[in-house]
Amino acid sequence: MTNSMNDIRNSKCVMVIGENVCTSHPIAMQHILTAKEVNKAPFIVVDPRFSQTAGLADYHVRLRSGTDVALIYGMIHVILKNNWEDKKMLAERTYGYKDLLAELSKYGLPDAKASKTDLKEDLKAVSDMTGVAPEDVIKLATLMAKNRPSTVIWAMGGTQHNHGTGVVRTYCLLQLVLGNMGVSGGGTNVFRGHDNVQGATDLGVTSDSLPGYYGVAESAFKHWAGVWDVDLEWIKGRFTTVKSKAKQMVDGKEVEVDVETKLMEKPGLTVARWYEAVLMDQKVLGQPTNVKAAIYWGHSSNCESQMDRVKQALEKVELLVDIDPFITTTTMLPDRKDGVYMLPAATAYEQSGSVTNSNRGVQWRNAIVKPVFESRTDLDILMDFANRMGFGKDFAKNKNGPWKQIPEDLTREISMGMLSIGMRGHTPERLKRQHDWAHTFAVNNTRSESGPTKGEQWGLPWPCWSSKHPGTAILYRTTVPVMQGGGGFRARWGDKAPDGESMLSAKGSAPVGGSIKDGYDAYKGYATDLTGKAIDEALAKGLNPYGNGRARISAWGIPDPVPTHREAIHSPRPDLVAKWPTYDDMKEQFRVPTLFKSLQKPDWVKKYPVILSSGRQVEFEGGGATERNAWWLVELQPEMYVEIHPKLAADNGIQHGDWVRVTTPEDLDAKPSSIKVKAKVTRRVSPDMVYLPFHWAGVWDGKSLADKFPDGMAPYGTGESANVVTNYGYDRVTQMQETKTGLCRIEKA
Amino acid sequence: MAQQVTGPAAGASQSAPPRMKFYVDTKRCIECGGCEVACKNENEVPKGIFRIRVVTVNEGVTGETNVPIPCMHCSNAPCVAACPVDALYTRADGIVHVNKETCIGCGYCLYACPFGAPQFPKANVFGTRGVMDKCTYCAGGPAEAFSGKEHTLYGANRVAEGKLPACASFCATKALVAGDAEFVDSVVKQRAATRGGPANTWGWDQAYKS
Repeated sequence: MTNSMNDIRNSKCVMVIGENVCTSHPIAMQHILTAKEVNKAPFIVVDPRFSQTAGLADYHVRLRSGTDVALIYGMIHVILKNNWEDKKMLAERTYGYKDLLAELSKYGLPDAKASKTDLKEDLKAVSDMTGVAPEDVIKLATLMAKNRPSTVIWAMGGTQHNHGTGVVRTYCLLQLVLGNMGVSGGGTNVFRGHDNVQGATDLGVTSDSLPGYYGVAESAFKHWAGVWDVDLEWIKGRFTTVKSKAKQMVDGKEVEVDVETKLMEKPGLTVARWYEAVLMDQKVLGQPTNVKAAIYWGHSSNCESQMDRVKQALEKVELLVDIDPFITTTTMLPDRKDGVYMLPAATAYEQSGSVTNSNRGVQWRNAIVKPVFESRTDLDILMDFANRMGFGKDFAKNKNGPWKQIPEDLTREISMGMLSIGMRGHTPERLKRQHDWAHTFAVNNTRSESGPTKGEQWGLPWPCWSSKHPGTAILYRTTVPVMQGGGGFRARWGDKAPDGESMLSAKGSAPVGGSIKDGYDAYKGYATDLTGKAIDEALAKGLNPYGNGRARISAWGIPDPVPTHREAIHSPRPDLVAKWPTYDDMKEQFRVPTLFKSLQKPDWVKKYPVILSSGRQVEFEGGGATERNAWWLVELQPEMYVEIHPKLAADNGIQHGDWVRVTTPEDLDAKPSSIKVKAKVTRRVSPDMVYLPFHWAGVWDGKSLADKFPDGMAPYGTGESANVVTNYGYDRVTQMQETKTGLCRIEKA
Repeated sequence: MAQQVTGPAAGASQSAPPRMKFYVDTKRCIECGGCEVACKNENEVPKGIFRIRVVTVNEGVTGETNVPIPCMHCSNAPCVAACPVDALYTRADGIVHVNKETCIGCGYCLYACPFGAPQFPKANVFGTRGVMDKCTYCAGGPAEAFSGKEHTLYGANRVAEGKLPACASFCATKALVAGDAEFVDSVVKQRAATRGGPANTWGWDQAYKS
């Protein structure tokens, strides 16, 4: 989130797109409802489903799943045609605006400034793609423009598409065009999925970066080797180097050359497709061996699509470890008797330490009880691994010496190394002090009004550049000095774009109070100088250490520099596939081959005519390992179900409560996948789609897995898993699974 | 000498004690079910019995509305009037309780109640009613406060601990408000006043369109 959860209270218009706040983030609804009631902010929900959140909204717009890019471009066209865009923001603080205008023309949208055509006529193609009437596109754009600052909130409805990266980027483009960035009540606000997931991302849970988004190049390892006080050469020695032949053009002739790839510097596997590195032939993999062991730690395997392949991989690995407070699907799914280890992890209530929330705020969490029975804290388990693998001493130390105070020294280590995003000011003492003085923080702007925390923002949201810095509650805000949380866009892309244009923001656009009034590059060495001198120097001059650059409307280096609509791999509109195809297949994406175009078959829709989307129900979370074990939650939602519109149900002879078979395309397998679930007949979904909650597990291919659990340990709530039938498809950039837009057919079972 | 503190109780002792109330704000309920779970957890309510239930009307269409329904602890409660054995009674603070040791499970209160608050566990295989169970406003029941007997028969006694009912305390959006009538009334008035104005007022456009 660029702004804080509480800052939604300052919005004049709230647009939620691809997110069901009532179900996924119920507590956050209080801020949205306050904006709605107190500010009279129009509350818009854009979603293929009439969700619980839509029920509370002033406007609900039903778009066809996966057509967000076209809808947002339609809105931008309306904004440009009415001269509502923020010209200053676009000219001074962005790069590539002209490329956006060129992209808009592909959607049948005429030049907004020159044409005299009727807006409704302009939006015909957009309307055809999205299923949203031109009047509604105009209404949305008008509400967002006329009620500024307006905010955009999203979650997985935006990301789980083959062009998900493009989808979320268009949300950001809309906010740049409206000038809603760096202002209270505006911003681009993604609601992260669960507890501390922002912290996990910041600390490098992805396979293409070390903590702090430093990447995986040798320079990144050098930085962290310095923090950890370990020998870089020793780290390098832990990774192998792969030699291969590649064709290269030398003096106009194609010759074969030897290439060496250091695995250390190569992005690894992702959670979405790790199992392919177990199952596929090693020759097609981007690494010298197949994966032989899998460790699940606080994650449920029923969250991964292609679950039949996940099951095969769980059976094939030599070693399978599941670390969780509850027994998850990972342990129960595979048909195997040996080589499975369950390690009981402590819950959040049994361990303390710092965690990062959705709006970048860090909080100290206190253990309220000691770990019960045999369970152990995550750190304890991790330490035991390190000790038994022979590097325990190196693990439990850093530049300041061996850890003495646990877990406080870990937070100190994080703030020592995470300079890139400015976590330097997060000392355990400050975080704990905020808890003691929580009552001094104002609700509307999260700033402490008195006491020793006076002036600090709640959670010291990063960047928090020093022990004196209050944290940055609102990113990219140039109207306040850096030492009060001000900043421009991060100057991350050098001072010049490939086309020679400046990537530093324009004259006079710097955060107020600095020695430089214009754009400036990142302060030399700020991200790697462990003494912190570079950051302190920048702060003394009133400069933001990460510089003052331009936001990239056109982002070179990714497949669609300006986001482009791509039909889902299983598109319900084959007539649009020709103009808006998905990407070319990739021989290697995160070390495994990924199919795109070769699976985008126009005739899928003939056999599988219904759109399949998946998401959450409020009672459960993630794989449901915890919640399906709580009987009062299961009492509220005792069975796995599929949401079907009354018309679709009637057309297929299905009544509320009937058993239904949901069948989906064969994709990589020889035969289609299917699950048997109860019908929930509701008007939440449109007649052309069905919706599955993804938390269920415990029944496989019609058979209960209850007998595989130790006595008395089987969860109260079991059912077939949605991710058995969610379709094949992955984001071109991040490999996020395409589970929001698929195809299926339904029949009475 | 320390100055004597005069709290509100000193003046109020002359008049009737404050009446405890629930307010259900249908514009704020998000159907998360937190109140149902908080109630079950706090009072160890058995399976199949719901002392509070979120009812959704017009699901999936414009006008969808969620209504959390506990016992509303009515003034002049019809259940109290209907009870043939005087098991139901209104406390001085307005909370309506049932004495489970007197209740005969006849079910008249269910027919009298406009909210469906009385709950009846099945007593035997033929489905005859057991003793009535309902929302206690988390105020225990007619047994010694905090005793095992009170807990078994009626559940938690948060009111005696100086706490509000679990459901309202847990409500994420404060759609369910609990407290004495004066406080609840001020919340209702403040919300109504805040919501008035151009965006949501019926007839505003007709009246003020120039």
